[in-house]
Amino acid sequence: MKKILSILTILFTFSFTSHSYSKTEIHWWYGNSGFLGDVIIEIANRFNASQDQYTVIPTGKGSYEDNMAATIAAFRAGDQPHYSQVYDAGAAIMVAQVKNGVVIGFEDMAEKYGIKVDADNYIPGIKNFYADSDGKMIGVPFNSSTCLMYANMDILKKVGIESVPKTYEEFEAMAPKIKAAGYIPLVQSHFPWIWTENFFSRHNLLMTDGNNGYDAVPTKTLFAETDAFVMHWKKVKEWYEKGFYGYKGRAWGDNQAPFIAGEAAFWFGSAASFGGMKGVVPNFTVNHIPYWDSVTGGKEYPTFIGGAANWILNGHTEEEYKGLAKFIEFMGSPEMDLYYHNMTGYSAVTKGGIELAETINFYRASPYHKAVGEQLSLEGSTIPGGYRAGNWPQIREVIYENVEPMLNGKISIEKGLKNMDKGAAKLLKQFAKTL
Amino acid sequence: MKKVQFKSSYSQYLFLAPQLGILLIFLYWPIIQTFRDAFTMQDAFGFGTQFVWFDNFLFIFDDPAYFIAFKFTIIYSFVITLITGSIGLLLAVQANNVMHGKSTYKTLLIWPYAIAPAVVGVMANYFFSERFGLLYHLFNNLWGFNWYESVFDSYIYVIIAGSWKQISANFIFFLAGLQAIQKSVIEASMIDCKNSFRRFWTITFPLLMPTTFFLIIINITYAFFDTFGIIDTTTIGAPSGETRTLVYKAYMDGFRGLDLGSAGAQSIMMMLIVLVITIFQFRYIEGKIHYN
Repeated sequence: MKKILSILTILFTFSFTSHSYSKTEIHWWYGNSGFLGDVIIEIANRFNASQDQYTVIPTGKGSYEDNMAATIAAFRAGDQPHYSQVYDAGAAIMVAQVKNGVVIGFEDMAEKYGIKVDADNYIPGIKNFYADSDGKMIGVPFNSSTCLMYANMDILKKVGIESVPKTYEEFEAMAPKIKAAGYIPLVQSHFPWIWTENFFSRHNLLMTDGNNGYDAVPTKTLFAETDAFVMHWKKVKEWYEKGFYGYKGRAWGDNQAPFIAGEAAFWFGSAASFGGMKGVVPNFTVNHIPYWDSVTGGKEYPTFIGGAANWILNGHTEEEYKGLAKFIEFMGSPEMDLYYHNMTGYSAVTKGGIELAETINFYRASPYHKAVGEQLSLEGSTIPGGYRAGNWPQIREVIYENVEPMLNGKISIEKGLKNMDKGAAKLLKQFAKTL
Repeated sequence: MKKVQFKSSYSQYLFLAPQLGILLIFLYWPIIQTFRDAFTMQDAFGFGTQFVWFDNFLFIFDDPAYFIAFKFTIIYSFVITLITGSIGLLLAVQANNVMHGKSTYKTLLIWPYAIAPAVVGVMANYFFSERFGLLYHLFNNLWGFNWYESVFDSYIYVIIAGSWKQISANFIFFLAGLQAIQKSVIEASMIDCKNSFRRFWTITFPLLMPTTFFLIIINITYAFFDTFGIIDTTTIGAPSGETRTLVYKAYMDGFRGLDLGSAGAQSIMMMLIVLVITIFQFRYIEGKIHYN
């Protein structure tokens, strides 16, 4: 009995301390898991330890798609979190929700609650991706990646290649050597993201009409009518047949696995894969994704931001938004930005973070952290820094559905790209109806 | 005989209320919502709802991916029903003949039934992984098996993953069916016919028809609806949506694509398909079955 009493006492004290003095709770939902999820929890812990008025409660909802679905379901049930992480493909949907009062734009929030980190504090490329058509920032930049090329330097050394390829032409020239030595020259983890969306940005080409949806609601994608894109896919198919490129199914990890196992020379993945591979793959480098010299005439253009932003959801109290404003300020501080950049490999998103990195000579100690920021802030692009196309998660599915038969020769490249255009146009039209 | 009647005309409703409440909330309300979704179009957050008549249905009929999912679902349910039914029956007949350790066999064969489809999918993943999958390498050596490129190979993958657990369900019901057959009938047939194979097909199997019919319905429903977790943890529809069931496609469009209109229309189509299959079964097959 005594034992039970003492346990009860302990439980009681804990229940009091954990809810002590009724701190204002701020809910933050996210769609990362594993190591990246742990870092998010750590950020919240640090904020909670830094002051005693507010508690940020992070809740992982699975993948990006899961979190977006959960956030929407919660909103419909009137039970939405204050802050939610929504990925690049969902950006158009979130920006469109400002007018319905679902999302509070970052700039409005900053103005109302006096957040010290203002819009200008964020790197232009990243800022524009999550802005509305007037350039007003809606989403708060968070984990910003882009596609990069990882190279296994041991394999390259073994086959006598000294430097990593800058262009696809260079890759094509070295692929036979790598193949002959028994390695897979190239694997990549995401067709729609790497070889579609970012193919267009990397070559300074428009992907949809309406200026990538920035000037007008897009009605079609420009896949089949972009010669460079058709050429690229013909090449990919050729590589696939010759064994220069290995396709390992839909799953991200299955395509990354040969690179981790030291069987593939190059892998195209996300900047954020860096954190997880450090120490696992012995001698790898992180490089810009190649481009076709023949398409850009030797010029290199920036890729789109990948990853996600945090979005402020409507329907909570003043006091809670004040706390959220403090939290946004905390996350936008140079120290936290650099911490996140260092831990995960995601880009630093604030000017302050980058300045701090320069000051402490961060990139000398860890040069591979630099590729992502470099590639994102390349200049000279004449297309918008993103795309505003609704129903994009489904359009990615359409892309996937057509790539596989294109690769195994069931349909021609032209036919496959036309199918993609047709499927995408239907989905874009449907999205336009709901606006 | 005395007629039993409630004094109050309300009390019966009170007793019915819990059951009716459950039906209304968990059955009729979602059905009404589905119809509402199917005939309207709205954005992801539920704004801008507008009545669009049959636009959502026209949209799915114009979608080649829908017909691929339809074709796959039909093939999948047919093959799963056939495989699980026949293997389940074979195992049941064998287990029924075992003299010693009957209950041990029984228990071991029933076990997989308790495993959730998603877990089965993850387990199948280990067998079909390109990196360390035993079956992947076995089949790959035999004919160059590669499930993320070949439609046929991906069918094999999801059929094996989907059948395994359901064999147990078939086994239990067939075993129960076998044990319910009267000993006297079996003994009489043994005197008349020496060939045990023939005895089985002319006497035992016809007597098992009610069980078989029941299992066909159960297996089809399983392949239609419960294999969601298996697809989601194995092929995710690869290659190019060829191994997506109708349920999986509705989920992808509704919850991943956030297009509830299309998902609602697909749900209604699914309801119609199941309705047609069930009516067909009860009309044309059940008539041929003898319930003792």
